Amino acid sequence: MGIIKDKKIKIVQQDERSRARDPDSLVAALTDADPTARRWAARDLADFPAMASALAERLTLEPEASVREALLLSLTQIGNRVAVEGLLAGLRSDDAALRNEASEALKDLPDAVAPLMSDVLTDPDPDVRIFAVNVLESLRHPDVEQWLIQVISTDTHVNVCATAVDLLGEVGTTAAVSALQSLKARFPEEPYIHFAIDLALKRIHED
Amino acid sequence: MAQRIFVIDDAATVRLYHRQILEGAGFEVHEAINGIEALEKVLLASTPFDLYLVDVNMPKQDGYGFLRELRQLDIRQAPAIMISTEAQAIDRVKAWEAGANFYLVKPIKPDALLGYVHLLLGAGGTA
Amino acid sequence: MTDIVITEEDFRRFREFFYRKTGILFEDSKRYFVDKRLVERMIASGYASFNHYFTFMRFQASGAELQALTNIMTVNETYFFREEYHFKCLVQSILPELTQTKPPGSLIRIWSIPSSSGEEPYSIALYLTEYWSGIDHWDVELISSDIDTDIIHRARQGKYSPRAIQYVPPDLLQTHFVPTADGEYQISDDMRQAVEFTRVNLNEPTDTRSYRGFDVIFCRNLLIYFDDFSRRQAAGVFFDALNPGAFICLGHSESMSRISAMFKVRKFPEAIVYQKPEKR
Repeated sequence: MGIIKDKKIKIVQQDERSRARDPDSLVAALTDADPTARRWAARDLADFPAMASALAERLTLEPEASVREALLLSLTQIGNRVAVEGLLAGLRSDDAALRNEASEALKDLPDAVAPLMSDVLTDPDPDVRIFAVNVLESLRHPDVEQWLIQVISTDTHVNVCATAVDLLGEVGTTAAVSALQSLKARFPEEPYIHFAIDLALKRIHED
Repeated sequence: MAQRIFVIDDAATVRLYHRQILEGAGFEVHEAINGIEALEKVLLASTPFDLYLVDVNMPKQDGYGFLRELRQLDIRQAPAIMISTEAQAIDRVKAWEAGANFYLVKPIKPDALLGYVHLLLGAGGTA
Repeated sequence: MTDIVITEEDFRRFREFFYRKTGILFEDSKRYFVDKRLVERMIASGYASFNHYFTFMRFQASGAELQALTNIMTVNETYFFREEYHFKCLVQSILPELTQTKPPGSLIRIWSIPSSSGEEPYSIALYLTEYWSGIDHWDVELISSDIDTDIIHRARQGKYSPRAIQYVPPDLLQTHFVPTADGEYQISDDMRQAVEFTRVNLNEPTDTRSYRGFDVIFCRNLLIYFDDFSRRQAAGVFFDALNPGAFICLGHSESMSRISAMFKVRKFPEAIVYQKPEKR
C-alpha cells in the first residue's frame, strides 16, 4: 500500500464514451435514460452549430443540473441566431431556474444579443424586460448605459425601472443623471425607487 | 441579542435597502448574492439565522432551489419570506412548496417588510 | 506622484462589482489596499478618473483589464502547506468518508491542478504519508497537471527556496528534504516518485477528455483567473473527471457560488468543499 505510480494502472483511464459521435446520434442521445450520456451528448454537440435547436429544445425539458449546464455551455459556444433565440425563449419560461440560466448564458453573447436587445427590452412581459436588463449587467457592449437610460425614461413598470436603476448605480455616468432625477417623479410613492436613485446619484459624482 | 436576518438577493442595492430598514429596527443583517453562497454561509454560521429574506431570481441557484436545499439541512429551521417581481398565483404555490412561509412582491415598502418580519418572528416564538 | 482620488462611493461601487464577480468581499479595513491597486491599474491603463476607468474596465470586450485587476487584488503565491486546512480536511474528513465505500486495498485517485512548481502536490503527498494512517491500507495515485511545461520540469526537480518550505514542520523537513549546495532544499526521491506530473490545458477538450475516475480534485487559486465561460467549462471538466460522490477543493478566494450549480456544498470541520452528487 502507499502512494503508487503503477504504470499498469493507466493514469488516463479509458474514455467511456463508446457511442457514435455523429450529430444525429448525439441528438438522439439527448433523451437517453442515463444523465451522463445526455450530458456528454450535450457537450459534444457544441461542435455542430446546426443542432442548436435540438439543444434549446432539450433545455426546456431537462431535469438534471449537470446536463442543463452542458446544454447551456454548448448553446453559448455555438452562439448563432438559433441558439440566442432559444435562450431568449428561456427568459419566458415558467421555470425560475431556466429563466436565470438563460439570462446568464446570454450575458456571454454580447455580439449576438446586442442586435436583439431593443426588441427584448420592449417585450410585453415585464418579467422578460427585467431579465433583459439583467443581461445588460454583464454585456460588454458600449450601448449598455444608453439602453438603461432608455428603460428608465420610458418603461412604465416599476420593477423594470428598479432593476435598471440598480445597474445604473454601478455603470452610470453623468449622462444618466437627468433621467434618474425625472424617474423619481414618475414613482412618487415608491421608497425603494427613491432609495436606489439617491444611491445611484451619489455614486455618479461629477468628474 | 439582536435577531439575525439573512438577506439573499443578487442586487446590491436591494441588499443595502433591506439592510438599512432591518438594522434600523434593531436586527442583525447578513447577506448573500445567490443560493449557493447562502447555503455556504448557513453551513458556516455558528448561530442559526432567525429569518430568511429570499429573492426568487438569482444566478447559479434561484430562491426556490435555495429553499429546497435549506429545508433539507439538519439545522434549526427558521421562517422564510420569498420576494419576487412576479405576482402570479403559480409562483406563490411554488414558493410555498419550496418551503417559504410568506410571499412578497417587489417593490417592498419598509413598513410592510417590518410588519411581516415581526409577524413571522413572533409566530416562530423567538421574538 | 499622483493626484488620483478614489472616493468612498467609488470604493463601494468597485467592491460590489468585484464581490459579485469573484466572491471576494473587501471590508472597509481593506480600503487602502484596494485604492492603492486601483490607482496602480488606472495609471497603467492611462485613466485619471475612476468613473472613466471603471466604465472602461466593465465594458472592455476582451475583459483583459478585469483580469489584470484580479491579478493584483489577489496574492497568488505558492508554498508548501499553503491553505493547510484543505490538507487537514483531506486526511481527517474526506478520505475517512471515501474509504467507507472503498474496500481496503483499492485505489484512491487524487488530481492536483495546477501543479505550479510542485508545492501543492508534494504537500498532499507529505500529508498522506505522515498524517493519514489509511496509507497502509489503501493505494493512492497522485496526479498533478499544469499547462506550462517549464514549470512541470521544475516541479519534477523539486528544488525549493527556504521561503517555500518555511511552513514545513522541522521533522518533516528532516525526513523528506535534502539541503543543496546552493542554499535550497530538494524534496526526497520517494516524494518525487509519488507524484505523476502531466501537461493539461483545462480549456482544451482533447487534453481533458481522458481524465476520469478521480476521488478528490484540488484546484485552488486558478479558476479566479479565468473568465466566466472558461471557469464554467473547467467546472464541467472536473465534474466529468470525478466519480459520483467525489470531492473538489477550491482556493480560499474562490467559491463554487460564482461558477456552477452542479456540485453540492459540503461542510467539514476543517473546510467547505464541493461534492459531485451521487448517482440517483
